[in-house]
Amino acid sequence: MIAVPDPASLAPAPAGFLEVDHLSVRAGARTILDDVTLNIPDRTVTGVLGPSGCGKTTFIRCLNRMVELSRGLRLEGSVRLLGRDLYDRAIDPALVRRRIGMVFQRPTVFPSSVFENAAFGLRLVHASEEEVDRRVEDALRRSGLWDEVRDDLDRSALSLSGGQQQRLCIARALAVEPRVLLLDEPTSNLDPQGTQRIEATVRRLREDIAIVIVTHNVGQAARISDRVAFLHAGRLVEVGPTADILERPREALTEQFITGRFS
Amino acid sequence: MRSFRDRIRTGRPRGVWSALPPLAAAAIPLALIAAIVVTLVRAGSGHGWLLNLGLDWNPSTGEPSLSNFGVLVFLVGSFATALPALALVLLFSLALGAATALYLPRRISLVLNGFVDLLAGIPSVVYGIWGFWIVAPVFGTVINPWLNGHLGFVPGFGGPVPSTGVGIPLAVFVLTLMTLPLTAVLVRESLLAVPVTYREAGLALGATRWEVFRRVLLPFARRRIGGAALLGFGRAFGETVAVFMVIGDATKIPVNIFDLSYTVPGVLVGQFDSAFVQPNYLAALAQLALVLLAISLLINIGGRWLVGRVGRGASLVPGVA
Amino acid sequence: MSAASETAWAEWFSPEELGHFRRRRSIDRWFGRLLPVVFLVAIIPILDLVYWVSQRSLPTFTWAILTTNPTGNAGGLYGPLVGTVYLLLMGLAIAVPLGILAGLASGVFLPHPWGEVVRGAGDLLVGTPSVILGYFGYFALVLYLGWGASLLAGGVTLGIFMLPYVARTSDQAFSSVPTDLRDAALGAGARLRQYAARIAFPIALPQVLSGIFLAAAIGIGETAPLLWTALFSSYPPTQLSEPTGYLTGLIWNYFDEPPTFGTEVTLAFQAALILIAIVVAMNVIVRVLAERSRRKLEGLYG
Repeated sequence: MIAVPDPASLAPAPAGFLEVDHLSVRAGARTILDDVTLNIPDRTVTGVLGPSGCGKTTFIRCLNRMVELSRGLRLEGSVRLLGRDLYDRAIDPALVRRRIGMVFQRPTVFPSSVFENAAFGLRLVHASEEEVDRRVEDALRRSGLWDEVRDDLDRSALSLSGGQQQRLCIARALAVEPRVLLLDEPTSNLDPQGTQRIEATVRRLREDIAIVIVTHNVGQAARISDRVAFLHAGRLVEVGPTADILERPREALTEQFITGRFS
Repeated sequence: MRSFRDRIRTGRPRGVWSALPPLAAAAIPLALIAAIVVTLVRAGSGHGWLLNLGLDWNPSTGEPSLSNFGVLVFLVGSFATALPALALVLLFSLALGAATALYLPRRISLVLNGFVDLLAGIPSVVYGIWGFWIVAPVFGTVINPWLNGHLGFVPGFGGPVPSTGVGIPLAVFVLTLMTLPLTAVLVRESLLAVPVTYREAGLALGATRWEVFRRVLLPFARRRIGGAALLGFGRAFGETVAVFMVIGDATKIPVNIFDLSYTVPGVLVGQFDSAFVQPNYLAALAQLALVLLAISLLINIGGRWLVGRVGRGASLVPGVA
Repeated sequence: MSAASETAWAEWFSPEELGHFRRRRSIDRWFGRLLPVVFLVAIIPILDLVYWVSQRSLPTFTWAILTTNPTGNAGGLYGPLVGTVYLLLMGLAIAVPLGILAGLASGVFLPHPWGEVVRGAGDLLVGTPSVILGYFGYFALVLYLGWGASLLAGGVTLGIFMLPYVARTSDQAFSSVPTDLRDAALGAGARLRQYAARIAFPIALPQVLSGIFLAAAIGIGETAPLLWTALFSSYPPTQLSEPTGYLTGLIWNYFDEPPTFGTEVTLAFQAALILIAIVVAMNVIVRVLAERSRRKLEGLYG
């Protein structure tokens, strides 16, 4: 019932996939994001890299209108998915968020079973039981959690480890079949093993959907992203294929950051 | 000579006596509860156990030996007022909590919640006189006849309607107002205690604010809301003066929901004066007070256990959040 | 949602899901409109109460009411007003020192599980129906200790009633002092007692005061603890062993007199108005003090 058309069938053919166009965010006199323009391609992992406080989290929250939940912020510019303005007054943010999912820094599993957590987004639209079963299994497989929980889907989600909880959150987002998945420093609270599993999941998901992952860890960006955007003090310093940015940065700021002179 | 190890463990040599002042101070609330229990036990003794669960409350002032103290009437009255009041209070508290947590801007909800807190400050006896003179006629001539006319087919809603307006519905109304501030603040705190990221996680899945309330906040806060309900019930069950003033105080089982009734705290406050002269009557009332105390302690222990510590402003004292 | 942009997004969702969504969104919007109305419904009764109590009391309100004693079917509120003040002061004389001590014990001195036990006991006292306090005061003080119905018995009973409120709010005040300060003080070699007196107490003071005003505001409106301990009197008390009047008692005694008999019902409404004014004023003080202590603590937390 949640038909996701193949983007190729949509006409007219879009110029870009997820386009960020002259995006600025201000809080009073302070500028959090300053005129960011960037195209995020489909079926790639785009890493958003930068020191803490550079506006990475605000940037990613602009991509599915979560930013509107914070009071006192003013937005300029536009964000378009396949040519459609996300901030069109006529479009409800809840619909936007069903196609552009998000996973947060800390795992946010709800106090119910593993199954019900993964099914949360499907229950909202009253999907049939068979469809819920099918999609939950599919989402858990795609998030790489299926083999660990298949024997007991009714156990409490709170009994999972931190890394498993985070993959459950990814599965919960995937179950509603988003075209874009936003990850806001998803491994910052995980141990190395949990981090590794998440990174493996992200690499696999690239085959189906676009992924934007915020990280302050250069190594993680190098391991999982196809493209890297480097933000500093609210400005987009440079963007390009991972190898180019991390090995042959054009800007001095980028080089200083990736060589660890500041973080 | 104390060993060096002893000194390290205790910091400095310290007598048992220095621990005494804090212990004595700590004992104050516990000692008060104990003193209340002992006093009521003593006041209720000397005549054996007088109370029974029967319908017949007859102190028989002329011939004390013929007295019978059936308390069922008062228990029925207490539950018939406290339970509906609790249902209303819970409904309102959840609505106010949802409005504060999800729908209203912070400043506006602060002002509105301030008004609700103000309900807690009005003295019980003022609710009573307002209910008796101002609200009772509205119930007697408008609300009760309307309910009777439109819902008369529902069991309990048919039959005679006293025209004065005092009775169970008015008591429920007053109790609802008096219990609302405490329950509202506890429910609100328990909803706001759910971390913001969980609310955002729900919204990020395309849920509406209502769905976030229903499917994220409520499951998280379930236990504490249960505690708030229990504590609210305790308040409503123990409320004395205002209910006495508006319920009509008739020692009988109500024939319908519009009838006059009498509550446990109500009879304690209303018949004490007439019991002075009759030792077994006074003892029966003291025993009933002990029963009320036991019920209230149980409800409060349970409620407090469920509520736990709600945030840093944890308090069962409304008005200081 | 305008037709054009809806079609632009319609390709992304099945008609079924869009239909569902419209229903879900309209439920949400209905709640968005309904909930502020619920607030109004909750607030209207208190406005109605203040309006009608003023209506029934202000037209005949004169200064003479504050300076003459009630006479049975007319007169003023002087005696009960003075009695209320005496009872409140006596009650505070008991509730404040003992309450603060209990709050210090649970908020500063007692180790983990015991502080919680004392707090729980305080909450149980707060939750005890006030008529139980009236019974306790009558049997324990008036009867067993032989004080008789008097200002003394009434004041002490009111003090016991207010004590847990003072204890709980001062416990909160002491507990909200940042633990860093405690660690710093003890680390510098101070005793717990010195920390409590010189650091925790000054920081917590506004909040403790706010708690005292709150307890007083609740205590001044109580009826049941006083009915058989202070009994009632139309005249201002001259000694501790005399019964005394109080505003809530006047309302209690006069509220259901037939209105044709005299002016007692009006007098009761006038007493109610005075009580409301005092309670609201005290609540304002409580809020101002609580706000001041919040700022102070925010400064401490940085």
